[in-house]
Amino acid sequence: MSDIVLETEGLTKYYGSTVAVDHLDMQVPRGCICGFVGRNGAGKTTAIKLMLGLLNPTEGSSKLLGCDSTTLTSTIRQRIGYVAEGHRLFRWMSINELERFQCAFFPRQWDCKFFTDMIEYFGLSRRKKIKHLSNGQRAQVSLALALAPNPELLIMDDPTLGLDAAIRRQFLEGMIQLIMHQGRTVLFSSHILGDVERVSDRILVIDKGVLRANCSLEQFRSAVKKVMINFDDSVPAEVDIEGLLHCRRSEKELEVTLVGTNEEKIDEWAKSAGAAQYKIVQMNLEDQFIEFTAPPGRKKLFQWEEI
Amino acid sequence: MRFSALLRKEFRECIPWLLLAAVVFFGFGGYCLRAFAFPRYGYLYNPYFQPGSLVEPYRLTNYSALQLPGIWLSLTSIGLGLILGVRHFWIPYFTGTWPFLLHRSVNRKTVLAAKLTAAAITFVISLGFTWIVLYWYANRPELFTLPQTARIFIEGWIFILLGLVVYLGTALSGLSTAKWYTTKAFGIAFASIIIFMTFSQWQLFWTFAVIVIGIVILLSQVIDTFLNREF
Repeated sequence: MSDIVLETEGLTKYYGSTVAVDHLDMQVPRGCICGFVGRNGAGKTTAIKLMLGLLNPTEGSSKLLGCDSTTLTSTIRQRIGYVAEGHRLFRWMSINELERFQCAFFPRQWDCKFFTDMIEYFGLSRRKKIKHLSNGQRAQVSLALALAPNPELLIMDDPTLGLDAAIRRQFLEGMIQLIMHQGRTVLFSSHILGDVERVSDRILVIDKGVLRANCSLEQFRSAVKKVMINFDDSVPAEVDIEGLLHCRRSEKELEVTLVGTNEEKIDEWAKSAGAAQYKIVQMNLEDQFIEFTAPPGRKKLFQWEEI
Repeated sequence: MRFSALLRKEFRECIPWLLLAAVVFFGFGGYCLRAFAFPRYGYLYNPYFQPGSLVEPYRLTNYSALQLPGIWLSLTSIGLGLILGVRHFWIPYFTGTWPFLLHRSVNRKTVLAAKLTAAAITFVISLGFTWIVLYWYANRPELFTLPQTARIFIEGWIFILLGLVVYLGTALSGLSTAKWYTTKAFGIAFASIIIFMTFSQWQLFWTFAVIVIGIVILLSQVIDTFLNREF
């Protein structure tokens, strides 16, 4: 059994002259929980749809569980759970009817007890029609439907979008139930960095269709840092420090956001530039993400090499 | 099991329209047919239709009691085709359910086959069955002077096939990702041409041939578009 469950090679999608996904090269190892983050319109949904064979790539390829996305067989699809963006389900069906419908496609895998437990855990009535459920409740049904067949790979497209904090917490706890099954892999896109931080062990950052980071969460947390540098005299005109993302300056203070720069190099540069002192400021994941993907003043693109 | 689950789902979505079409056709078609029944001529009650009138034998031999219901059948069939085409191929786009439907452990051909089968069953039950009932009613000698010919019965089924042409045309337009002023309108435009050709040159064999050719062309286009379309 391969250790890579999801793999893309130069995956590219153009809509007319607009590039939505630009030469996406990534691998997701088995058993990890991958947070796929990016701003609105960064290409997360397009990338996920390409991986699931719902869109055809302009260039490149992707493989899920070793099978090319454009020719995913029914056997492979059985092993992949998918929660689509917005939790769009058949509105006229009740939860019971949806379960019967979904169950027919996973005759051997369907865990009826698990589904029932999840529906009860979320406090939903099985007779209720989807159209009468709130957005959050629909999300819970979607998750239960995707988890009950016990998929090897679960792909979720912005599953917590539009949910309040309490429902989101419940949703994530439901997801953790799946994670507890050994060897399960989860890829979920999200705008909410707190969710990613809570459950992911790996982070994929996509910006304008380009994959800009693919590393463990700890690596990302330690790689992106903000440094406040004070000068006795004026701030130097040119800031040339390795891994520079952004640079904001006042008269005697320089605030730089760096990626992948170790403390030795910061220290070395500070000394050479004549800084009086410097301080590394702790950032939360959200700030790191915003700094990492913010366009203005960006000095260079950072491609994380390590997987 | 998977196909039957898909078929059940698609057919359930057709049921309201099946009932509506059956009620419309049975209501209006039946009303028109009743007007010709012997005990009372209904709105055709006038001196020309009175027993013994000189006009009556001519009318009775040249005017089928199923002619007006046949017009209702064609209208209902076209309407039903349009509605089912929209229900099966347009609504999932607006409700965003295509990704959920297509991420199944079946191939796209099976999903499409379930939709087409559900539509065909809907036509047969709502219009075909009602047509059989009306045909049977129109053949009751105690109510109608002349028996209805098999040709009239077949013509009714041709009208039902015309509904399938409209269904496939609507499906093709719904599946197309092109702009309305380009090829997106092709499906509906093609179905409209078939309707025009059908009514402009009504001869049983000619009409049947035109409709069958139309169905084959549209079906091949729908299959090709559905299998290669991006969702």
